[in-house]
Amino acid sequence: MEQALTRNFCIIAHIDHGKSTLADRLIELTGTMSREEIGKQVMDSMDLERERGITIKAKAVRLHYKANNGQTYRLNLVDTPGHVDFSYEVSRTLVACEGAVLVIDATQGIQAQTLANTYLAVEHNLEIIPVINKIDLPGSEPERVLAEIESVLGYKAQDTLLLSAKTGQGVPPLLEEIVRRIPPPRGDARRPLRALIFDSRYDAYKGVIAYLRIVDGRISKEDRLRLMGQDTEIEVLEVGYFSPEPCPASELAAGDVGYIATGLKSVEECHVGDTVTSMYGGATEPLIGYNPPKPMVFAGIYPTQAEDYKDLREAIEKLNLNDASLSYEPESSPILGHGFRCGFLGLLHLDIVRERLEREFSLSLVVTVPGVSFIIIKTSGQRLTVTNPNDFPEPTEIEKIEEPWVKISVITPSSFIGALMELLMQSEGTYKHTEYLGQYQSGGKLGQRVRLEYEMPLRCMLTTFYDQMKSRSRGYASLDYEFIGFREAELVKLDVLVNDVSVDAFSRIIPPEKAHEVGKAMVAKLKEVIPRQLFKVPIQAAVGSRIVARDDISAKRKDVLAKCYGGDITRKRKLLEKQKEGKKKMKSIGRVEVPKEAFLDVLKLG
Amino acid sequence: MPRDIALYIHVPFCHHKCSYCSFVSYDYREADIPLYLSALKKELIRRAGGECIRSIYFGGGTPSLLSVKYVGDLISAISSLFTIDEAAEITIEANPGTINRTYLTAIRELGVNRLSLGVQSLNDRELALLGRIHTAAEARDAVQHARDSGVDNLSVDLIYGLPGQTLSDWQHTLEEAITMRPEHLSLYSLTLEAETPMWRAIKEGSLPELDPDVSADHYELAEDLLAAQSYSHYEISNWAIVGRECRHNLTYWRNLPYLGMGVAAHSCLDGHRLANTKSLDKYLADFSGKSSPVPELDEEINPELELAETAILGLRLCEGIDLDDIHRRFGIDILVHYRKQVEEMVDAGLLEQAGGHIKLTRRGRLLSNEVFWRFLPG
Repeated sequence: MEQALTRNFCIIAHIDHGKSTLADRLIELTGTMSREEIGKQVMDSMDLERERGITIKAKAVRLHYKANNGQTYRLNLVDTPGHVDFSYEVSRTLVACEGAVLVIDATQGIQAQTLANTYLAVEHNLEIIPVINKIDLPGSEPERVLAEIESVLGYKAQDTLLLSAKTGQGVPPLLEEIVRRIPPPRGDARRPLRALIFDSRYDAYKGVIAYLRIVDGRISKEDRLRLMGQDTEIEVLEVGYFSPEPCPASELAAGDVGYIATGLKSVEECHVGDTVTSMYGGATEPLIGYNPPKPMVFAGIYPTQAEDYKDLREAIEKLNLNDASLSYEPESSPILGHGFRCGFLGLLHLDIVRERLEREFSLSLVVTVPGVSFIIIKTSGQRLTVTNPNDFPEPTEIEKIEEPWVKISVITPSSFIGALMELLMQSEGTYKHTEYLGQYQSGGKLGQRVRLEYEMPLRCMLTTFYDQMKSRSRGYASLDYEFIGFREAELVKLDVLVNDVSVDAFSRIIPPEKAHEVGKAMVAKLKEVIPRQLFKVPIQAAVGSRIVARDDISAKRKDVLAKCYGGDITRKRKLLEKQKEGKKKMKSIGRVEVPKEAFLDVLKLG
Repeated sequence: MPRDIALYIHVPFCHHKCSYCSFVSYDYREADIPLYLSALKKELIRRAGGECIRSIYFGGGTPSLLSVKYVGDLISAISSLFTIDEAAEITIEANPGTINRTYLTAIRELGVNRLSLGVQSLNDRELALLGRIHTAAEARDAVQHARDSGVDNLSVDLIYGLPGQTLSDWQHTLEEAITMRPEHLSLYSLTLEAETPMWRAIKEGSLPELDPDVSADHYELAEDLLAAQSYSHYEISNWAIVGRECRHNLTYWRNLPYLGMGVAAHSCLDGHRLANTKSLDKYLADFSGKSSPVPELDEEINPELELAETAILGLRLCEGIDLDDIHRRFGIDILVHYRKQVEEMVDAGLLEQAGGHIKLTRRGRLLSNEVFWRFLPG
């Protein structure tokens, strides 16, 4: 196949704008698979992804398309993750492509991640084909969205396609546009090999499978290769492409997208963004400098039952095989026992990891309040990075604290600006900028579409911020954020004591002026969720030795089974067995039995 | 020697279902009583094994809906199939709205020697709330009928902890009940099963929630009032003049064998717990044909579980568990076997050890489930 007949592209979109459905339609229309075979969306093969409507692990599918000019083209569709937590992976995917189909929902218009993804694609010099999806829906406003695309993104109406990925209407012209507008890959198959790893996954039989874009040179089975960034040597066990099942091939050459089986034991050894070259006579310069993704959000993960620690360790190790951006190290807590302090790219990543551990490994977990990493300069001059509130030094030993800040961008109808600005203020945000994107066509009540730009501590985004933003904007507002650096902060550690025992899992870092309010809310919540015990239980919130809030749970007085009905002992016993099972699921703090929900509920407090 | 056994006969009929009741009972099915009686007799025949009956308990439902003739039929069927101990306790449960002096005199002549009267409350507002078919005046009359017809072993059932019931409301009912001098009192804390009418009323907010602390106050008041009137508190929910403890129910609490006949009746025999179908129609069909009905529940009780059940049931009795008795029955020292549980519960003030027994403390009686689940195996 000539390089001139190859097109490498991806689909970028805000969450739920229809990226996966469009991928399905392209796979179907090119005859790669029938609609029945696609059945469920092939591009999102993890259950969890489908449920959340996002794509976690990028994949590449090769499509063969016979264009109107009679030529058959090889289209490599590279799937991208659709969430801000994964922007590092998105940007690697973009390097593997020459073009991007930008999908915008005809009912919602441009959203925060539409902008973020578009800017990323422009930065990578991709040819962008804007399409307006879901034109079959009754609430669609293609005219308004066309105007918005033109005014905000600068793409002309005649260059934008209208389609419905669901019904297939308007999709065939998109295939023609991909062939016509996206340039064929550059690069030279005769030059020394240079291929970019844009994703990887672990396979129990073949070891790490690396997804590659070949820029120069070629790769065949049994080639001996080198990963330039990590200086790892590998032998190619298999080479091929996805259609969408893996198809072994004799070779991949410049311009191709495909995979190699490396036999490596962990994705840690095969970083996304690294350049692959030949062991002998290879290239001297990598394609791009690569930085492994840095975890931004940290939380402790503990088994509810201490004896499940080993299972948890194995489960995290297994997840880590496929998810190099998940970091973990053993940690032990006087209350929670042995567990792990894990680092995540963002909150969504945390949620996904937790759900996968619980669902795929049937583990019952306690996840502590998520936090960020702080840089602490001690009075002694020592510099610490602290990811666990319990590692915070005594206040007297702290000279200076720095915490990570993000720039956040919220797109919302102007009618919600007041409510959102209030939320952003409460969340310690600093106002930067407002941008008007255009008028809602039908939405007299909604007003203008506005983009708000704020800077705020990442810490303030971690608990209820996203939910509150959604509820204050009746679901309209969308969010994007990026890390902008560490800034000095004034913070204290708030501890929670249950029955005089400090519960490390509940400790959190907050500004001193919020200690009373947050402490009161946590105490009230715990009083609500901790069942009455056989003795009185005081609950207190404290900063250092100063108690800032308190409430007591009075002792339980009555727990008796009623009348025994005609000798039905079995039923009574079953009720007691249920009670016993319930107790097993609880965590014991000192002598207090705390249900797992208590942890989750307190975790949810903003 | 024939083995001793307690016999339970379930009568699953009521004029009207009470608003808190989740027991197996049918209203508007009284026309099926003749059919049910013949099915019961067939079940008695099928299951009789020459046992010696130490107690018979007609429970319900409303057993007092059975006519004198039917009660007589059943007792004569039982006495022809089994040996009835001369001193056997024969109890019938009765709704105060269903009995009179003639009826009580007649069934006493048939051998019924104990009456358990479902008074529940002596406050008309509470009786209406409970959906009872009788008033407080009718309950007083029923007690009088019982005494007039010569009933000398009378038990009165009362319910406390009703939605909105105050401590003084409860005190009035209880004090009046005591003045009737029943030989036995059963006091039950109102517990609502899902989907009963009262449970729904509370869920919908038309009745206040049950308050466990108020209920605990009611219980403690009853303990004090009854002790002052020399009633012996012999089981968590039961009080009696000494010597008038319910022999039938003691069989359950001592984890000894019993046979249950009729719809939804439970039996405990030869290391098994069995239960009949809960459906009246299925029961009638099962015992009209020739084929042998299969119990709805047949659970084998292994020795470990039997020990646990014996401990849990035994702890319901105020005298507690007799350590020697357990040793004779199971060959173990319960203080060693359940050392951890006993120590923890003694520390928590729920159990105490005295005179070769372990028993619940006053506080432990109100928190007995907290003690019991710890005795379950596994």
